[in-house]
Amino acid sequence: MEINLSQLKKGERATIIDFNIEEIPLKLLEMGCLPGNSIELIQIAPLGDPLYYCINDAHVAIRLETAIEISIIKEQI
Amino acid sequence: MQEILVYIALFIAVGFLVKKFFWKKSTKKSKSCGDDCACH
Amino acid sequence: MAQKNIKVALIGNPNVGKTSVFNQLTGLNQQVGNYPGITVEKKQGFAKLSNDVRAKIIDLPGTYSLNASSIDENVVIELLLNKKDEDFPDVAVVVTEVENLKRNLLLFTQIKDLEIPAILVINMSDRMKLKGIELDIPFLEQELKTKIALVSSRKKIGIDTLKNLILNYEDLSIEPCLNSSSIDPEYFDKLRKTFPNQLLYKLWLVITQDVNFLNLERNEIKSAFTKSHSDLKRLQQKETIKRYQFINDTLKIGQKIDKSKASGIQAKLDRILTHKVFGYVIFFFILFAIFQSIFEWSTIPMDFIDESFAHFSNYAKTHLPVGKFTDLISEGIIPGIGGIVIFIPQIAFLFLFISVLEESGYMSRVVFLMDKIMRRFGLSGKSIVPLISGTACAIPAIMSARNIENWKERLITILVTPFTTCSARLPVYAIIISLIIPEEKVLGFLSLQGLALMLLYLIGFFMAIFSSWLLDKFLKLSCKTYFVVEMPSYKIPMFKNVAINVLEKTKAFVFGAGKIILALSVILWFLGSHGPTKDFDNAEQIVEKDILANNLVLEPSLIETKVNTYRLEHSYIGIIGKAIEPAIKPLGYDWKIGIAVVTSFAAREVFVGTLATIYSVGANDDEDDMQNTIKKRMQAEINPVTGEKVFNFATGISLLLFYAFAMQCISTLAIVKKETNSWKWPIIQLVVMSGFAYIVALIAYQILK
Repeated sequence: MEINLSQLKKGERATIIDFNIEEIPLKLLEMGCLPGNSIELIQIAPLGDPLYYCINDAHVAIRLETAIEISIIKEQI
Repeated sequence: MQEILVYIALFIAVGFLVKKFFWKKSTKKSKSCGDDCACH
Repeated sequence: MAQKNIKVALIGNPNVGKTSVFNQLTGLNQQVGNYPGITVEKKQGFAKLSNDVRAKIIDLPGTYSLNASSIDENVVIELLLNKKDEDFPDVAVVVTEVENLKRNLLLFTQIKDLEIPAILVINMSDRMKLKGIELDIPFLEQELKTKIALVSSRKKIGIDTLKNLILNYEDLSIEPCLNSSSIDPEYFDKLRKTFPNQLLYKLWLVITQDVNFLNLERNEIKSAFTKSHSDLKRLQQKETIKRYQFINDTLKIGQKIDKSKASGIQAKLDRILTHKVFGYVIFFFILFAIFQSIFEWSTIPMDFIDESFAHFSNYAKTHLPVGKFTDLISEGIIPGIGGIVIFIPQIAFLFLFISVLEESGYMSRVVFLMDKIMRRFGLSGKSIVPLISGTACAIPAIMSARNIENWKERLITILVTPFTTCSARLPVYAIIISLIIPEEKVLGFLSLQGLALMLLYLIGFFMAIFSSWLLDKFLKLSCKTYFVVEMPSYKIPMFKNVAINVLEKTKAFVFGAGKIILALSVILWFLGSHGPTKDFDNAEQIVEKDILANNLVLEPSLIETKVNTYRLEHSYIGIIGKAIEPAIKPLGYDWKIGIAVVTSFAAREVFVGTLATIYSVGANDDEDDMQNTIKKRMQAEINPVTGEKVFNFATGISLLLFYAFAMQCISTLAIVKKETNSWKWPIIQLVVMSGFAYIVALIAYQILK
């Protein structure tokens, strides 16, 4: 089931499906946030934002507003 | 003699400050990173 | 014998240890300057490769790719696109890190597309075993069409190999490793036909971003080949995917990772350091420790410097031939230099802590923790770095705002940073607090004076936050916010890197701000020791006449003080002071304080020095330490009209508040001008902050008096 990245829970893994190209900074793409790559939520900041992910082996923090624009499919464990 | 040295020192000091703060008005390039956010 | 120079550009992502490699290659043989017109730090150094060949190494700012998103990154592209630049490299050394090879290689493939000879450095190779990583170097060299140096800058391994590769750079292939134009063959074919003499990838970079490109008319290219913003971005995405495909395919064969060996230290540390509660507790504990140590540890060297300069000044006065120039040296130049040197301990300590926090990777966690809170006030999590550094000096702090990508957040950060209590305010606060706050303890252990000082720090920080909230409301800049922060793995800071950083930053302060302070103290001394009228020159006779007329019998030292005071009143500076007195009287200041306030607009710490000059301290007593003497004089100052003490509680509070809010630092204004590229913002800063300071000081004095 396709959900957006902000719905991922801590410790869960998923695969990136697509994103709204207008809203995603190029820098994030270059860090490996591309369709087909895996993503894991590592930590949520105290007030629920920003979010700290491991994308394609890179550790990156992004804001909630960016996470909403990325759609993913959860990996079955 | 000492008087002259004092004036030279003063002249250097004033000259330095003027050069530092007012002389460099000609910035080499004006980027579009002004008031808008089009810097990337 | 003629030496051969090879120009080398050191390029790499942030956090790959590029600077360590640079430090290992060049040792202390390096210099830091600025790129013309912008304040991006330009670091270069030299390395000896063989008896007659030397490498000139430029450490370019860290960048994730050749698609720039900040001024720092722009520098990289502009240099690599411009063959005519005197620094255009003969060879590019791309530094990557063994654990993040995949991501780091993206930049490498882009550099290869520019057809510049490139050497690949894989840094932190000492961690390979630990992380269970194996690399097939010959295969990678073949696929990436380069030579690889496995380096550990921490353990000093592989530096000689790298030097050898640089020496033989002419053997390197300049063939790109992949054909990136296949993402839109039609478009790129057209481009190629129109500009047959230009490198395709160069054209593409010029089209996609805002860089100066000298030998090509940018507009010409742009108008013929423009595409909508989102089309271009889609192409850039395609390009990125294509590059990653190539990298993944290459690494699938060339790199083997034993996942079981991947240790979870970073995850464990992150769980604690970014924890909802502990995260903040640890952060505030670290901050507290930093401030404590800055103030505790630097008192000893500062006192020492203070005393040494006082002695030195006296020595010069007594041993040089009597005359005006000697006065200038002993009363103007030596105290002036002392006023700069005295800040070195505090600034060095602060930079020490900041560079340790940055090197270790902890700073990114603080950014992560604070982002949401800071954003409520129109700032970014990244603003925390300038705001903390601002407690040392606003100048480097404002420069560190550069890595905030969003222009609005960056601008607000630059504008509010001068509110944080910088170390130059400290001497002013210290002396006024000691005058108006009794030396008592609250609850038996908290010093009242210490609490007052802490309160002033809090006021400064609160004002910074409050004004950014206001600016956020009123600045009509709709910027696409975007926030991407890499969380680097934790590392133990390398002593050499930290030491060099502290040294460079301190040097920059001493020679940057220092020159200004020195020049001003020369001018101040001149204005204080010269006058336009006969009254100034004949001060001694006039005072003596006055004493005789009133039949007073005074001690010689008192007479001297009277003469000095009279002289000062009739010097240029006295005349200026008297002229501004009406404006500052409602704040509770007399003309002497007025002069000190005015001269503080050059740099705040001048305040104490000016008062020292004005109250002619050090003229007759050399044994007392300076601070005490100024204090005594200030305490003894009586308002001739009311007969009350000049430095009473109301005036003191009014002064403290004025110094907390006023924009009194020319150097900061100059840096703001540079960073915002306009006079508008520094002028607004000057007017608004100082105007606000005036009003607050006025209200405080009128209520308290």
